[in-house]
Amino acid sequence: MTARTVLKNEWRLLMADRPLQIALGLFLVLLGYALTNGVVWLRFQERTVEATTSGNVERASALQQELEAIEAGGQPSSPFADPRSPRVLGGPSGSHTAVLAPGPLAALAIGQGDLLPYYYDVNIYTNEASFQQNGEVENPLNLMVGRFDLAFAVVYLLPLLVLALSFNVLSEEREQGTLALTLSQPVSARSVVTVKLAFRALVVAGIVLGVSLLGALATGGFGSPGRLLLWSVTVVAYSLFWFALAAWVNALGRSSAWNATVLVGAWLVLVVVLPAAINAAAGLLHPQPSRVEMVTAQREASNDAVNRRSELLARYLEDHPEMAEGVVADEPGLGALSWAATDAVNGRLEEVAAEHDARRAEQTALVRRYRFLSPALLAQEALLDAAGTGDARFAHFQSQVRAFAEQWRDFFVPAILADEQMNASVLPNVPRFGVADEGSTDVARRATVPLGVLGGLLALVSAAAGVGLGRVRGAD
Amino acid sequence: MTDSHESNTGPKPLLEARGLTKDYGDTRALDSLDLAIAPGEVYCLLGPNGAGKTTTINLFLGFVAPSAGQALVSGLDVSTHDRESKRRLAYIPEQVMLYRNLSGIENLEYFAALGGQGSLGRERLVEILVEAGLDGDAAGRRVSTYSKGMRQKVGIAIAIAKEADALLLDEPTSGLDPTASSEFSALVERLRNRGVAVLMATHDLFRAKDTGTRVGIMHYGRLVTELSTAEVGHADLERIYLEHVSDNGGPR
Repeated sequence: MTARTVLKNEWRLLMADRPLQIALGLFLVLLGYALTNGVVWLRFQERTVEATTSGNVERASALQQELEAIEAGGQPSSPFADPRSPRVLGGPSGSHTAVLAPGPLAALAIGQGDLLPYYYDVNIYTNEASFQQNGEVENPLNLMVGRFDLAFAVVYLLPLLVLALSFNVLSEEREQGTLALTLSQPVSARSVVTVKLAFRALVVAGIVLGVSLLGALATGGFGSPGRLLLWSVTVVAYSLFWFALAAWVNALGRSSAWNATVLVGAWLVLVVVLPAAINAAAGLLHPQPSRVEMVTAQREASNDAVNRRSELLARYLEDHPEMAEGVVADEPGLGALSWAATDAVNGRLEEVAAEHDARRAEQTALVRRYRFLSPALLAQEALLDAAGTGDARFAHFQSQVRAFAEQWRDFFVPAILADEQMNASVLPNVPRFGVADEGSTDVARRATVPLGVLGGLLALVSAAAGVGLGRVRGAD
Repeated sequence: MTDSHESNTGPKPLLEARGLTKDYGDTRALDSLDLAIAPGEVYCLLGPNGAGKTTTINLFLGFVAPSAGQALVSGLDVSTHDRESKRRLAYIPEQVMLYRNLSGIENLEYFAALGGQGSLGRERLVEILVEAGLDGDAAGRRVSTYSKGMRQKVGIAIAIAKEADALLLDEPTSGLDPTASSEFSALVERLRNRGVAVLMATHDLFRAKDTGTRVGIMHYGRLVTELSTAEVGHADLERIYLEHVSDNGGPR
């Protein structure tokens, strides 16, 4: 009865409070804008994926036609692009682009989707430098600031709305004098405040989840109910955390102005300062080697290889003076020599990349260890994971591309070393990339950590609020 | 004037204090108060600021916990029967503060429902507000447009709707004009006739004499004397009051 009574009263108060309605309306508009941004980005990604996929088909088809034409007595279009050469067929002109389709709820959270590559052009020259280009280590929140999407609105703005709705949930009753009249009835402050906050939480969660479901509906997200559930649970848990924090602060019995100051301070620390501080600490304690080092290593190794190749070529021509005139790049024997040089470059790059990876792993470990301090980081991690735009999915994709690049080399390099020519019959056997995306179970398993900690924080703050509200008796 | 306020043969008191004491740190705000208010009695607590009147009311409401003794409502100890005792109590503070954006009807509906009266229906709510003296046309208006007297009437309406055994009034006529004060007294009289026990803290000697059946004078947390309003005139009451609150018995 009490719950229904308080809920009804809250509804009336909301209906009579124009500024609050405007704030909610403004938030709704912002969510709509965020969702539109997400959908626009998703459509762009979808177009890119489509173009890349058809590019793969067109390239394979063109090579097949050219090989068949050559086998029928024709000439290659260029002596430097003879598709019979494994260095050409497995090189950039015959490359295969490995693509990761947008995540199931990508429209809800662009996340790092605009920073981490979702396609790689794989050929025999794909090396560690190809994977290092976009490996920027940065605080996930900072990365997210780049685009205004629903996840951004949830992580950054939702707490502010929650605080605006709840910073004075009890103090206002005390200040306007209704608390004494309320607590002279057979109800406790704890039960009244709980129902009041539950109503406001319903309003906030209703708006955010409503827009989220709309976005999912418009972009096919309902195909992944597990991820949608994870998204919804995260939104609700994160909202409740802020409501519980507001309840706790209200239970301290201070003024509304004091509550507002403390809660905005908490938002600033937990959402802005802590994530930035953790990121800064990671950079300070485990500084990433300069990217110039990687570029320099690549350049030096390439120069060395070029020099080495020239020496080898010179020796080769010295041994075969009859070949000194009219020599072509695809001269049998040159392929093997050239590949040896490429391999040397790759080896050197792997050494430098290993150093980069090790530092990055240390930074990531530090950020992951201390992300538990910030509910914003935890919520963001779970939201991006649910949307399929978190770094885990991209890392999973990248590891598959690495394996595919290895497979690609294994297919072509023996032919290069043996100076063999290829023909149209090998084309069906050329490796093709197919991503094995993560299952919902993997995502759910991974999400249990941030969600569990967020739930723990929520339980802790709720318990403190419950104890504090239990002490409110009406005459303080 | 009477020295005894409890009778073993009379009706069971609806409001009772037994050795009720409240300390705030080293300050004793209320000192061993013994008090019993029977159905149909209006007991007025008089005393200067800081005498312990509001503390007494807050103890009956369970807003503060006693340092010693008991506050009983219909025989229930407030400390151990918080909700049950509040079901039997109605309270009107000095300033009845309501939800300003809601109407008188909506405020009454809310507080009556919280008090355990369920959904009363609009007609009944208006009826109660009119009974409490509020103009029927004003009942549907936002409380932000109400005067203090109108808000006090909504407070009375909340008490009427609750059908409580006992009514606690904390300086309810403070700041009201004489007409509104008089109307208020008439409403209290009506509740008294229904058998409600009323405890009213007030500075208003005239109102206490006019509305109360008994008067207790408090000073520095102690009930220094009690008298029946039927036995004293206005002038006597003022003289006795001044005698007892002259600053000669400082706080212990």
